[in-house]
Order: sequence, then structure tokens, then C-alpha cells
Amino acid sequence: MISEDFASLLAAAQSGSEPAFSRLWRDANPPLLRYLRVIAPGAEEDIAAETWVQVVRGLRSFRGDEQAWRAWLFTTARRRAIDLARHRSRRPESPLDDVAVAQLPRTVDSAEVALEHLSTAAAIALVSALPRLQAEVILLRVVAGLDTESVARLLHKSPGAVRVATHRGLRRLAQRTADAGVTL
Amino acid sequence: MPNIPHSPLQDGPAVTDADLAALLAGKEDVAPGLRPAADVLAALSAEPGPGELAGEARALAEFRRRAGAPAPRHRAHGTAGLSSRLSAKVAASAAAGAVVLGGAATAAYAGVLPAPIQRFAHDAIGAPNAPSAPHSPAPGKTVAPSGQLAPHGQPAASAKPHSPGRHSSRHGQGQQGTGQGQPGTGQGQPGTGQGQQGNGQGSPPGQGQPGDGQGQGQQGNGQGSPPGRGQPGDGQGRPGNGQGNPHAEGEHGNPHPRWQQGNPHPHAEQVPYRARHARPARHAPAMDT
Repeated sequence: MISEDFASLLAAAQSGSEPAFSRLWRDANPPLLRYLRVIAPGAEEDIAAETWVQVVRGLRSFRGDEQAWRAWLFTTARRRAIDLARHRSRRPESPLDDVAVAQLPRTVDSAEVALEHLSTAAAIALVSALPRLQAEVILLRVVAGLDTESVARLLHKSPGAVRVATHRGLRRLAQRTADAGVTL
Repeated sequence: MPNIPHSPLQDGPAVTDADLAALLAGKEDVAPGLRPAADVLAALSAEPGPGELAGEARALAEFRRRAGAPAPRHRAHGTAGLSSRLSAKVAASAAAGAVVLGGAATAAYAGVLPAPIQRFAHDAIGAPNAPSAPHSPAPGKTVAPSGQLAPHGQPAASAKPHSPGRHSSRHGQGQQGTGQGQPGTGQGQPGTGQGQQGNGQGSPPGQGQPGDGQGQGQQGNGQGSPPGRGQPGDGQGRPGNGQGNPHAEGEHGNPHPRWQQGNPHPHAEQVPYRARHARPARHAPAMDT
């Protein structure tokens, strides 16, 4: 998070300052990719790139603080991910019969992966094993830094539902990590 | 005794909402049982790896491409969009008004507008003036289309019948004489075209009876439509029985309502064949009197 300098950086970027925009991008793109790895695994980089294209188009007309900025960014990314999922469901690229058995994804235990790698990717894998809503709210709260109300608007849920999902996800995450003895 | 399955989550650490709030906030002093989860959340927020910054050049290229583009116009930040929308509305309204006025002018020159409006159009744009209202003849008087009073009860061969085919047929009474009628003049003169040639057969006024269609050269005028309900005559006088009531028109009102003014014989020129040939009507309703 940029915090104090965000307003000046945003104004400079809106005026065409490339360094200012670079700073905004470097701050927001990593959490964006981590979020997309959970909700759109395998397409996170493409969706992130499309998201930034759309953000650049609307940058000059954006008004708001850093919380609103992040909410806009992640909302755009989420819509792109949903569009991509719909597109893929309409036009599957290859039927499963054509995929070699060796190429099929191997079902692994997330805790096992976390124990092996002990990295950000392992943490993302652990969160990805949670139910979709619980994983998404945890990522939006922790990674994107959004508050409960912003997450509720983004997901079209009530704040109470977001709180419940967050607590359930954290409990489940704690349970799984405690059971597996995960230490990152 | 029911065998209730035991949830594995219940074996986990006792987590309170305060603990979860501390976990979300990234505090260090979390409950010992939540330490692994706290490490996972900390890893999610770790410093970005090199692969997560690889797309910067692409984003900057897009930014450079868009930086020179003009700022999008926002509704709340300018009036250009508003004025352009207003201009479009004004243009649409002007086009609609032009169409309406053009149609009104066309109708005015065609003379089909109601009389007051037609007079106004005459004064304003030189459209044809509205004709004046016809006068109603006195009861019992028949008026030839030329405006001359026809002899009462006389089979005036020279009298020009108004083309009352529709008047008569509409009301089901009175048939036009076949041989005596002359086409109307079509002059549209007020007061003309009201008369029907009577046959002078002595039918009591207002009680014309269909005759035998002997072709006596009589012309029943039929029962004139009441004022305001008449239909334009088509100039095709139907062969009648020649015993129509010459007074019927006077008795039953003016078959030429006000709106019929103008040319009371719009198709008078098409009639003459029957009018010239005084042949008995074959299909005239024959009614024994």
C-alpha cells in the first residue's frame, strides 16, 4: 500500500507521469496476480494485462482514494476473470479425451505443497483449497487490503456475509495448517 | 442412539473473533494455535517476486500510448456533452416540426382542412379558401344544381340532378330516376345540388314510394340525409322508379351537410351514360303502391 503518497501519485499519473504510473503499477500488480491465481488459475497474467489496459483507459476520470483505487482495480480484474470463464465454457479448447494422462493435473495435498515450498505460492495454494467465497474474501482482505464493505460491494454480498465467510475461511485455514504442521 | 458424525473442525484450536481480527490485521501476538495461519497470511502479503513485475513494460507501453490521448469527456466535468445532446434534441425537434408544417401546408393547399383552419391557411399562406356554407332551400322547394328553382312537382327534364346515389341508397329510400337526370354541374356552388328532381307523380310530400321502374323520367330524390350525416354524392344516380318524392328533400332536410361544400358532384362527369339514356331501371326496387 502506498498510503500517504497515493493522492499525489495518482494526480501525477493522471497528468501523464510515467514514473508515477509505474509506482502505482508496481504496488498493485503483485497482489492482483496473487488474487487472480486463485480465481483464474493459469490465466492470471493475461487477465492482469487486460485489467491494466482498461485501467489506463479510465485513469484520468478516476476519482477516489487508495481504497477506491484498489477496489476499482480488483473489480475490473474480477469481471475480466468472469468473462474469461464464460468464454472458455462456451468454447472449450480441447476435450479431455485428447489430453494425455501424463498431462492431467495431479491432485496434491495443499498442505503437502506448503510444507515442501514454504513460499508465497504455497500460501496461495493453501488458500485456494478453501471454498471459493472464503478464499476470495481472505485474499481481498489480506492481499488487496480492502475493508469489509469494499469486499462486500465487489462480491455483491452483504458485509455480514463477508464477515462470516472471512471467519469461516480463517478457521478452516487454521485447522488445515495446524493439522499439517505447516510452518512457512 | 443416533450416530452423529464428529466434525474434524471441532478438533481445531478454539478461535475467537478477536483472534481472527488480530490474524487479519497481521499482528504478531496471535494465539499459538493460529501461528501457522498467520504465517500463511504473511506469505500472501510478501514482497513481490521477479515474475510478478514482469509485465511492467507492457503496462507502461499502454500508458504511453494513452497518455497523449485527450481525456475522456465526463458528464460531471464539462458541458460539451450536454450541449451536444441538446443540439441533437433541438435538431430532432426541428425536423419533426418541419414535417408537421409541411404536411399541414400540403393539406391546406389540397383544401381538406376544416373550414376555420382552411380560412386561416388562406389568409396566412394563400391556400384555397374554405367554401361558404350552403343555404337550405325552403321546404318543398327543389333547387336545381344551377341554383334555379325547379318547378315543384314537375318532371323537369332540364333539371340537373344532384348525384344522390349514396344519399338515397344509404337510407334505403327513394331511387334516382334513370332518364331524366342530368349530371350535376360540379360547380360547387352553395345552395346547389340539393334538389332532386321530383317526378311529380303526386306522391305526398315526404312519402315517396318506390315505383315500378317504368322509366317515366322521374327522378326521385330519395330521402335526403339529415344535415351533417350525408355522404358525398358520387354522381351515379341509380335507376329508380321514377316516382320518388320530389318534396322529400325539403321535408327531410338538407342532403348536403356543411362539410360537403365545394363540389357537390365530384363524379358528376362520370354519370351521364345512365343519365342520358332514359331506360327503365331493371334493378330498381319495384314496390307495388
